Amino acid sequence: MNLFRSEEHARRWSAFQPRAEEGFIGLAELAGFFGTETRRHMLDADYLSAWYPRRGAERRAYLERIGKISPFWQGTPDPDRG
Amino acid sequence: MADPLLMDRMFQRIMRGLVERGRAPHYAEVARALGIGAVDGRLLLHDVMSAYPIGWLHPETDYIASFPPLNNLPTQYRVSVRGEQRWFAQCGFEATSVTWLFPGEAVRVDAPCLDCGDPVTIEMRDGRIAWVDPPGVVGHLNYGFGPSRGRPAFL
Repeated sequence: MNLFRSEEHARRWSAFQPRAEEGFIGLAELAGFFGTETRRHMLDADYLSAWYPRRGAERRAYLERIGKISPFWQGTPDPDRG
Repeated sequence: MADPLLMDRMFQRIMRGLVERGRAPHYAEVARALGIGAVDGRLLLHDVMSAYPIGWLHPETDYIASFPPLNNLPTQYRVSVRGEQRWFAQCGFEATSVTWLFPGEAVRVDAPCLDCGDPVTIEMRDGRIAWVDPPGVVGHLNYGFGPSRGRPAFL
């Protein structure tokens, strides 16, 4: 999960996976994705027991809101990959 | 699995140790602070890492390698706060989450572009992007999350 100067730079990266053409995310959306409610409580005394367990569902919901609903982003089984 | 309260306390010792010093404490240091023995501290560390699987220990050791959003092992994502580069983010995505560990502070992330080596810089404060250079910076997920991914998602 990397930052690139532009999409063109990412596509020129020697390790770029053709499947990952759908792997782009704008910086503002990325900051939102990694700034959902639970991530704002990492310094709370009960983060591990109370907040972290909610993270997965919260992130999936955020990805849905920004239209990233494919198995690639949602982490769901991918019929195209057996 | 250990007592959840004790796991929370170890988690916070590790996270705050990273924030305050730029490195994760060893389990024996945390164990002493928590008033338990080193052997129990090691077991507690493994329980914490099992409960927080987005981080990991260096293979076949008890050394914390990654404890996102920060990394104990240096990465290309260098994090600076108050003008001091002391931290590393786990990956480019987690780099945008580091801001939540430094409330009220400007958090700057500098990294080389993996294509050309030229700099990528973002600065955030309290979750908001304050500055980006170059303006076209994008995030890229190369392997996908979950079962669809072929390799660790942080790559």
